[in-house]
Amino acid sequence: MTVWNSAQRLRDERIRAGAAYAQGKRVAKADATALLEAVIRPGDRVCLEGDNQKQADLLASALAAVDKNRIHDLHMVQSGVVLPEHLDLFELGIARRLDYAYSGPQSQRIAKLLFGGKIELGAVHTYLELFARYYVDLTPQVALIAAVSADREGNLYTGPNTEDTPAIVEATAFKDGIVIAQVNEIVDKLPRVDIPGDWVNFVIESGKPFYVEPLFTRDPGAITETQILTAMLAIKGIYAPYGVQRLNHGIGFNTAAIELLLPTYGERLGLKGKVASHWALNPHPTLIPAIESGWVQQIHSFGSEVGMDAYIQARPDVFFTGPDGSLRSNRAMSQTAGLYACDMFIGSTLQIDLHGNSSTVTADRVAGFGGAPNMGSDARGRRHPSQPWLLAGKEADPDSPAPLRRGRKLVVQIGETFGEKNAPMFVEQLDALKLASKLDLELAPVMVYGDDVTHIVTEEGIANLLLCRSNDEREHAIRGVAGYTDVGRARDKKLVQQLRERGVIRRPEDLGIDPLDADRRWLAARSIKDLVQWSGHLYAPPSKFRNW
Amino acid sequence: MSTVTLDNAKVERQPLVSTDSWYEASARQRVEGLLDANSFVEFIGPEMREISPHLALFDLPEQFDDGMVVGLGRIDGAPVLVAAQEGRFMGGAFGEVHGAKLKGLLRAARDMASMPVLILFDTGGVRLQEANAGELAIAEIMRALMEARFAGVPVVGLVGGRSGCYGGGGLIAGSCSALAVSEQGRISVSGPEVIETNRGVEEFDSKDRALVWRTMGGKHRRLIGGAEVFADDTIESFRNAARYLIELAPAPTLDTLEAEQARLAQRIHDFGDCADALDIWRSLGASEPETIPALSYEAFVALADRLQEPRHDAR
Repeated sequence: MTVWNSAQRLRDERIRAGAAYAQGKRVAKADATALLEAVIRPGDRVCLEGDNQKQADLLASALAAVDKNRIHDLHMVQSGVVLPEHLDLFELGIARRLDYAYSGPQSQRIAKLLFGGKIELGAVHTYLELFARYYVDLTPQVALIAAVSADREGNLYTGPNTEDTPAIVEATAFKDGIVIAQVNEIVDKLPRVDIPGDWVNFVIESGKPFYVEPLFTRDPGAITETQILTAMLAIKGIYAPYGVQRLNHGIGFNTAAIELLLPTYGERLGLKGKVASHWALNPHPTLIPAIESGWVQQIHSFGSEVGMDAYIQARPDVFFTGPDGSLRSNRAMSQTAGLYACDMFIGSTLQIDLHGNSSTVTADRVAGFGGAPNMGSDARGRRHPSQPWLLAGKEADPDSPAPLRRGRKLVVQIGETFGEKNAPMFVEQLDALKLASKLDLELAPVMVYGDDVTHIVTEEGIANLLLCRSNDEREHAIRGVAGYTDVGRARDKKLVQQLRERGVIRRPEDLGIDPLDADRRWLAARSIKDLVQWSGHLYAPPSKFRNW
Repeated sequence: MSTVTLDNAKVERQPLVSTDSWYEASARQRVEGLLDANSFVEFIGPEMREISPHLALFDLPEQFDDGMVVGLGRIDGAPVLVAAQEGRFMGGAFGEVHGAKLKGLLRAARDMASMPVLILFDTGGVRLQEANAGELAIAEIMRALMEARFAGVPVVGLVGGRSGCYGGGGLIAGSCSALAVSEQGRISVSGPEVIETNRGVEEFDSKDRALVWRTMGGKHRRLIGGAEVFADDTIESFRNAARYLIELAPAPTLDTLEAEQARLAQRIHDFGDCADALDIWRSLGASEPETIPALSYEAFVALADRLQEPRHDAR
């Protein structure tokens, strides 16, 4: 006889085993490791919640403390490899296989463990791609998640940093998996219910807030004049002519400069209300002046940002907030919004090759992707028109009949020709290729593929790749804005001049921008303290960003 | 007692971002804004290309003024000698030429004994690539500074730049007749990273910027008497402070030095056991010391004047 409910039976068995440590759903902090040893089986697919922002840190330490004779060969399926414990699991032999999306601070150690064979790598994904696989072939058997608070029934308030939790819990709970939540505190009445209690099996009170990294805070004090110049070029040369209203920004200083120039330089160009009004974006503190100046109508966020919660709560017309007033972020939804509903992605990168492929990987670091490849790619399934999308499509393919022509998302890479530590942004070959051959990967970790990139902005000008008609033109459009890097110096001057005459390359002077005008006085805020003032003292920056 | 008053209350504040921020300005913008219009005459200007003889050895870029602007100008018509460090060139660090320009200015001030000197500090200390020359320069500058003061010349330090006032810069600042500092300014000898490297992160977490500022920043220096005037982050406010301190600068008599010694001994006695600036502020009588870092300029000046009157009989 075929058994159709083996997974349900296994789930019930796991719950019974875990119940030995629980009162109702509640498990004492001291019993966390014992609970995990009772519930998890060798070889399980486990999602240990953590991304580039929030971390289920208590559960990460508890899992790293299990007896590896009982629990081993786990297959970790999780957004972020960020905490040291995430990799301790592999070093200790508790986990063996890994599918993930992002690893910022652990990028060097993860590379070492990959070389050493301690980690069997499935793939490096984008967030949305990994969430998608939770529903097809990487469904977790156990999910270890983080929430702000729980009530007696196990209902959860995940609050401003809701982030990945709904996507993880939905996949786990409805496919007979076990959901274990760490919460800062257990309360009688939640501010609002983000996750219904009957999807949650066990709750552990940690007694302190789960860790959140302030990843999206950029200090205006560190923005350079070159970055301001690239911001002026982007606003005048891309935002204005395409009329980009719906967009996503990366996290670098160049885009922070754009955010701070909207209420000053953008205002001067008369762009208020015409560009940058609808966003898929984390609550960047550097967007506060633009919000306060009435530029921004709506922002949906992947996560929250440390110190921004009170400000967000006071601006519900702009942000997505619950009936309790606090932000509800959702990474899966915001990534979908960035893919399908935004007309532009603009972000910085570390390396760009002659095809326009870009990567943030260096030879000894595997940083992962996060969300950028998803934001920074054309959505082939998109069907709704908009002015920037249609215009970009027309530039790329002027000859097709308009009703049959696909539009294009604007995918803009912005940076200085020489980046941090004077490393050239333009290279003949990406370090990602070296890494791929060293690790024997089938795919090199490319952040944004060249055929998705539409524009490259540097202090030398803008290269519009949509207007290139051959590989040679494309290569020289890139060389033409690569300045004094080796790639830039190897350009054919005549060809670059021709491209400039056709508007494929536009120098600052072609756009009526004098580089000497790129001055920090354009910044609507020049320090974190200015941002605090703009926010009416609602923004409370973390200590490491204060200079007072 | 002099009748000079500090009239920063008159300075109109831009609501959000001031356009004449001292912190944001370059050394030359500060000098230009500080002095009467068109009154500045530069000595050994960039056109003379007195560059560092050492940096080329390290394949490092030079600057034609070596990051130090010195010259003569006027404030309200009265002549002053001015030296300004460019914090954006090598962190305003002291090298051979950089230091020699300041030393020369101070010796000229001593010999003329008729014009006050303003030093616009913006420095991380001595330039590592020319450490011996830089250290010697610090010693020579301190000697020249004291000689100028004994000749009756007020030497006033203004601190509010990006690089703060660290290392030998902190020692020179300590030798001045008087100091004005803004919230952004920091005055110390060992910098946060140096302390952390030598004593460990438990002793001092250099990444905890709020800790750095409440330990070395302008508000703390004003509260413990390390600086006489707390300036707003505007060129106008520093100009007012300079005017005021030139008038009040005490001559370095034996009485002054003894008063200074007594002041410092009292400070150690009062605060020696405090583990954190917050404890010091509390024992000074601040009822909510944790709110001090966020106080506006006006509110802080009022509080500081209530907690601890600036003294002008020491230094």
